[in-house]
Amino acid sequence: MRARALATALPRATADGLIRPLAALWQQRLLLALLLRREIVGRTSGTLFRAGWLLIGPALQVLAFWFLLDVVLRVRLPGHVVFLDYFLLGILAWFLVVEVLQRALGIFAEQAALYQRGDFPLVLLPLLPLVMATLVHGTLYLVVSTLLLGIGALPAAAAVLGLLFLLLLPASYLLAVLGHFLRDLRQLLPFLLTMGLYVTPILYTPDMLPAPLRPWLILNPFADIMALIHHLLQDMPVTIGNWLRPLTLWLALLGPAWLLFRRSEPHLRETL
Amino acid sequence: MNAPAVQTHSTFDASEAAAACRAPVLRLSAVAKRYRMYRSDLDRLLEIVTGRPRHQDVTALSGIDLTVGHGEVLGIVGRNGAGKSTLLKLIAGMLPPSEGSIDIHGRVGAILELGAAFHPQMSGRENVYLKAAIAGLTRAEIDALVPEIAAFADIGPFIERPVKTYSSGMSARLAFAVATAVDPDVLIIDEALSVGDGAFARKSFDRIMAFRDAGKTILFCSHSLYHVEAICNRAVWIDQGRIRREGSPAAVLADYRAELERADTASAQEPTGVTVDTRQTPARILSVVLSADGDEGRSLRLRAGRSNLSVRVRFRIDPTLPPPSVGVAFLTADQRPFAGATSARDGVLMESDSQGEGEAEVMFPALPLLKGHYGIAVYLLCERGLHVYEQATILDALQVEDSAAERGIGLVSLPRQWRLCAGAGSPGETPTAYAEPDAVASSPTSAR
Repeated sequence: MRARALATALPRATADGLIRPLAALWQQRLLLALLLRREIVGRTSGTLFRAGWLLIGPALQVLAFWFLLDVVLRVRLPGHVVFLDYFLLGILAWFLVVEVLQRALGIFAEQAALYQRGDFPLVLLPLLPLVMATLVHGTLYLVVSTLLLGIGALPAAAAVLGLLFLLLLPASYLLAVLGHFLRDLRQLLPFLLTMGLYVTPILYTPDMLPAPLRPWLILNPFADIMALIHHLLQDMPVTIGNWLRPLTLWLALLGPAWLLFRRSEPHLRETL
Repeated sequence: MNAPAVQTHSTFDASEAAAACRAPVLRLSAVAKRYRMYRSDLDRLLEIVTGRPRHQDVTALSGIDLTVGHGEVLGIVGRNGAGKSTLLKLIAGMLPPSEGSIDIHGRVGAILELGAAFHPQMSGRENVYLKAAIAGLTRAEIDALVPEIAAFADIGPFIERPVKTYSSGMSARLAFAVATAVDPDVLIIDEALSVGDGAFARKSFDRIMAFRDAGKTILFCSHSLYHVEAICNRAVWIDQGRIRREGSPAAVLADYRAELERADTASAQEPTGVTVDTRQTPARILSVVLSADGDEGRSLRLRAGRSNLSVRVRFRIDPTLPPPSVGVAFLTADQRPFAGATSARDGVLMESDSQGEGEAEVMFPALPLLKGHYGIAVYLLCERGLHVYEQATILDALQVEDSAAERGIGLVSLPRQWRLCAGAGSPGETPTAYAEPDAVASSPTSAR
């Protein structure tokens, strides 16, 4: 009975899981902008360069990577793709993913003051890390893509950011709820993400993996996402599976993530 | 079971306007709120995921039916833990009801926890924008409101500085200014009448009164029964999650006071009078002098029903404010007020000189207190007798002794006459006479 009800609710929830957050993003844009400002001020208050540090920090990391990989180690890939380009376009996207997932886990507890004492639209909160990371890391991504690949790469880089934003949308809602009620996840996720970095073709290309390990990449959605990123920006080969697998997973997550969020809303307000 | 629902209607078309004036602005139908208690957060998550109950209910409210019309000022009283705050949070939309429906026409503004949820590192102005945006205002609306909010909060150039540099009073003032500036149709006030320092407390009180006078709907929750009675035109008493009594403030509060007095220990913890912060009040009591039977001082011996008691109060008020009113209350030995008077209710206007100083004297002729020890509380109030600037209490001010004229029972002598019937038990008999107490006392057998 429950399974039948769930099956009935899922198609609608899948649509809602995409439409409702995007609608909230537009309808509550002023509030979201103020929240972003609040966060930027909070993160950089008292520093000399203020909000500039949000970009300076990752930019210094990019410089360090460039110095190590291109100047000191002189790492090269076979073929026409420059390894530094490949690595930076992958790792910067990975940083964005990591920030969204890690911050989503604790977003309801972190922003509790907002909805403890007022009728605050909770739907905005899982969007906050997503928008913040897209703004900060996205800006750097656009700059680095342009520097590495030329101004012509800007549309593709913007498409990558749009793709990541949409793909991470259900994950952000899902982790926001799970992380709030299952706090062990906050301890576990950093380890999982570190492992994820190693098993995702970021520090290496899929071709560099030993042949017996390559088929296992289909189990890693981030491997598909990286393949899509390098396809869009560097015209590297991509398979239909690289498109279908993340899309299927995304569609499969949209409905449950939205349902879980909607069901947990009264609990979130009650527990605080 | 009705599906829990909270509906708000923020706009009206012109044809609905007239009807809306008569229609209730707030309607709660069979509202219940149960908090779910879990052994762990994991249990809660499993219930959310599977839909199978893993909790125990704790009922905070049940069977609440309440309709509040435009322009009504509803007082909500009840002991701590009775469910008042839950009720206000439900109406404010902060909590969903477990059962029943809440129908609200218009914007709700809630003053529940002042000074809370400001971001310490953002400026006052930025926090105003954040709060007003949460309340649903557009940027243009907020732009228009900010100067008024800054002026009302009276924080001057601090509006541009981080809130972490504010004093607690400044934060509270700003929070109050924001909550009331968004022009709510329903204003919820939970214990927020004495905000910040004395001058601002008066100002905030005036604003709440202006809301009342403008015909807004106000839900006013307070332990200050004096204020509830003075401000509200209806009251509900919440007890153990249910509406125990609803009606005129006088009737509801009388029952509530009686209940408090029955529960001695509870009433000792719950203030039924008025407490004020006297540190920075714009009006001060300079002196209180009691006099009776040629004696003067702060502790007098009186004769029941004979002595003429005079209470002389000297005060000073900020000359820019209207002259205050004065109240005098008689207290039992355990400091409960049981009788008194205010100049505002008696329609007497005070006067003060150019320095704001003035004096008032109230005389209680043939003071009808019975034998016992009594205290006196003197209140300096706003001109309408609602906001308390300062209170002075004189414990054990009066030691009333028996007199030949007065030997009643209790605290106060009630005017009375006895009717003496010739044949008690014969319904058709005509009373023979009415006797004054002294006459009865002098011929006890005739009263049998």
